[in-house]
Order: sequence, then structure tokens, then C-alpha cells
Amino acid sequence: MEPSPQPMGVAAGGSQVYPASAYPPAATVAPASVVSAGLQSGQPFPANPGHMSAQHQIVYQQAQQFHQQLQQQQQQQLQQFWVERMTEIEATTDFKNHNLPLARIKKIMKADEDVRMISAEAPVVFAKACEIFILELTLRSWMHTEENKRRTLQKNDIAAAITRTDIYDFLVDIVPRDEMKEDGIGLPRAGLPPMGAPADAYPYYYMPQQQVPGSGMVYGAQQGHPVTYLWQEPQQQQEQAPEEQQSA
Amino acid sequence: MPDSDNDSGGPSNAGGELSSPREQDRFLPIANVSRIMKKALPANAKISKDAKETVQECVSEFISFITGEASDKCQREKRKTINGDDLLWAMTTLGFEDYVEPLKHYLHKFREIEGERAAASAGASGSQQQQQQGELPRGAANAAGYAGYGAPGSGGMMMMMMGQPMYGGSQPQQQPPPPQPPQQQQQHQQHHMAIGGRGGFGQQGGGGGSSSSSGLGRQDRA
Repeated sequence: MEPSPQPMGVAAGGSQVYPASAYPPAATVAPASVVSAGLQSGQPFPANPGHMSAQHQIVYQQAQQFHQQLQQQQQQQLQQFWVERMTEIEATTDFKNHNLPLARIKKIMKADEDVRMISAEAPVVFAKACEIFILELTLRSWMHTEENKRRTLQKNDIAAAITRTDIYDFLVDIVPRDEMKEDGIGLPRAGLPPMGAPADAYPYYYMPQQQVPGSGMVYGAQQGHPVTYLWQEPQQQQEQAPEEQQSA
Repeated sequence: MPDSDNDSGGPSNAGGELSSPREQDRFLPIANVSRIMKKALPANAKISKDAKETVQECVSEFISFITGEASDKCQREKRKTINGDDLLWAMTTLGFEDYVEPLKHYLHKFREIEGERAAASAGASGSQQQQQQGELPRGAANAAGYAGYGAPGSGGMMMMMMGQPMYGGSQPQQQPPPPQPPQQQQQHQQHHMAIGGRGGFGQQGGGGGSSSSSGLGRQDRA
């Protein structure tokens, strides 16, 4: 079963979508969400704080735990991936037969009119580089397939991997936006409402994971936002930031 | 969407969309791509046809992306031939640091074997090796190799400079929606942002080594 939110299903970790589940109530009192803070649970959520807080805490904790375990597992998979790549290359003795045709690689390289001459070793390097690229992209895509409890890797899984990974920025034009919209996260519960319109406020895809505040995260979050980019101002109206920091 | 899986792999260029000769030349064979994809997946995993075709497009884009950066470097340095070190430099610059260490070993072994083969038979046939295309003398190749060693450092410095404007900002993790429709300026900005992001990452640690370059990885490091 794959959830398909109509407004905007953003490819994200479980913890990000979960906080969004409480967003519709907040949307009705958008101005208040900016000033609301210091609830007992530390979550700045408006609208019936007592009831919502208790209910939300349980759901959030489950989602957070699930998300952290998932991240650790995926991180280990990636580390294992690179160890295997180095081992495989150390064991390579045959440089005549490649998994990818050198002539075709050369043609793709020369499609760029600025490219003049190509040394013999360049397609050989690319043959191995492209193999690593395909393996890594497929592995990251499969992580998304598993999150959705499927066994068939689909185009939207590749779209999810592209949106989640910085170095794949140059590929965003290859997958249509609707592929990303269809993207669903393996949520423990299916009935949760999707994320609201504020997701459209971001003009660029960028994840500057340089620093995440530790203690006093709610205060840190509020302090950090004004210092960052101006075009991210609308972000203050969303209640995701604190949860994202907690999940870090 | 249909979940058809072509286990047999079909002919070298299966798929109607790739029937024309020009189309075929733009992508690597879907059978080769599919075979490599399966190596990354569990035995009982299936791959849809459109997923294979999407990866085909992604790989061609990857080749063009790296080649373009390497070509620019050669032009700046008034050189005509793109070599292996230029590609490794380009990968470092464009955020694929994790690829460079394995590929350095690979290129080193290839050059060793190539050197042995050249010594064994002076007139080694080169269709597979493509010696006709801009084959450099051994000395020149070595010189290029030495020049290439400096590139990663300068690339890293460039990335650090790019990252400085964003270093001061405290950022919670965000996964915003996909960018606006394709535009030259936006595409350019995205690339710079990607490079800047890598720069910020580099400032926190030494070059990243063999660590993952994903957002998840950097989140763990925070």
C-alpha cells in the first residue's frame, strides 16, 4: 500500500511527514503558529494543545524511533556499499572486458561539441565510474522501495533517491515533478493527512546539513531561522523544523 | 503504473523508445544497465521497465555532467585531450568525492597493465583500448598524472570558498519540493548550490574520505 497525498507528497524521511500530519489544524490559525511555543511536550502545536499533545506525542515517538532505525540501517548499507566497491576494484585484473561498452561511452562524451580528444583511459575510467553510479543510485532507490513495502523498483523510487541526495541535483530534470508528487513514505499509519501547500514555497532543492542545534532546540530553531536565507522566511509558519532537529 | 519486469533483458537495445539509431547512441545498452542494477538489489527484487530506462538517462546525464566539467578544465589549461585524471578532478569538483578513491586505484592498475602491454608488444592493437584517439606518450601521461594530484586540493579549496557564505547559517534538515521548471540560470544555480553544500560539508571534516555523501550521512555527522 502506497499513500498518495494529492496536495504535495514530498519525498522525505518519516519524521518530516509525521509532523506535517498536525499541520492542517495549524493552517486554520497560521499567524498563531509563529508565536506558539513552550508546550509541555516542547512541540509548538496550536489547537487543543492538551489533547493533541498527548496523542501526538505517542505517534511522534513511534515515528521518530522508526525513522532513526531506518536511517541507521540505510547508513550502514551505504558504508558497506563503498567497502565492497574498493574490494571489487582491488580484485580487478581484467581490463579488456567491461560491464559497459567503451565505444558507447565515448560517443556520449563526444556529444558535447566542446570535447575534442579523449585519451584511451577516459572511457575505461567512466566504465567503472558509471557502474558505481548505477549501483549507488539503484541502492538508494531500493531504500525507498522498501520503505513503501514493495518489491518492484519503480521510477518514483529513483525520483525519491534523486531528491534526497545532493550529488544527484543535476538529475532533477530527468524525472517529472508528478513522479515526485506520487512519492509516498512508508508511514506506520495510512490515515494521516498529507502535507499542506507551504511545501511549494521552496524555489530550490537544497539540504545544507552543516549544523543542527542540540539542547534548547525549540529556542535554537527560532533563533536560527532569521539568520538563514531570506527566501526561507515562509518556513517559520511550518512546525516541521523543531521535529526535524529532534530527529537528527 | 505497470510493474513489468524484463528478466531476460532482451536485445542489447530493447524498448521502442530506443529504436532509432540516434536514440541508441545517446544511452548505454539497457541490458548492461539492468544487469548492474540487479547487482545492487536482493535476489527477489524486480525492476520496472521505466525504472531501467530512467537509470539509462541518468547515466548519460552523469557522463555529460562530468565530461563537461573536465572539458572546461582542459580548455582553461590549453590542453586538447581529456584524460583519466581530468575526470577524477571533475568528480571531486562536482561532489562525487566518494568515487575518486576507488577510481584512483582502478586507473592506477589500468595504467600498470597498459604499461606492461605496451612494453611487451610495441604495436599493440588498440581497438579495445582506443589508442587511436589521442594516445599520449607515456611521459606526458605521467606528467598529466602528477598535475592531477594537485587538482583535488584546489577543488577542495574552491568548495570551501563556495561553502563559506552558508557556513554561518544554522539549518535544520529540510526536504523541499522539486525545483521550478528547467532553466539555464536555475540549473547553474543548483550546481553551485550543490558545490557550496559540499564545501560546507568539507569544512566540518577532512575531505569526507569514504563516508556517505547523502543528506542522511551528513545529518548523522551533525
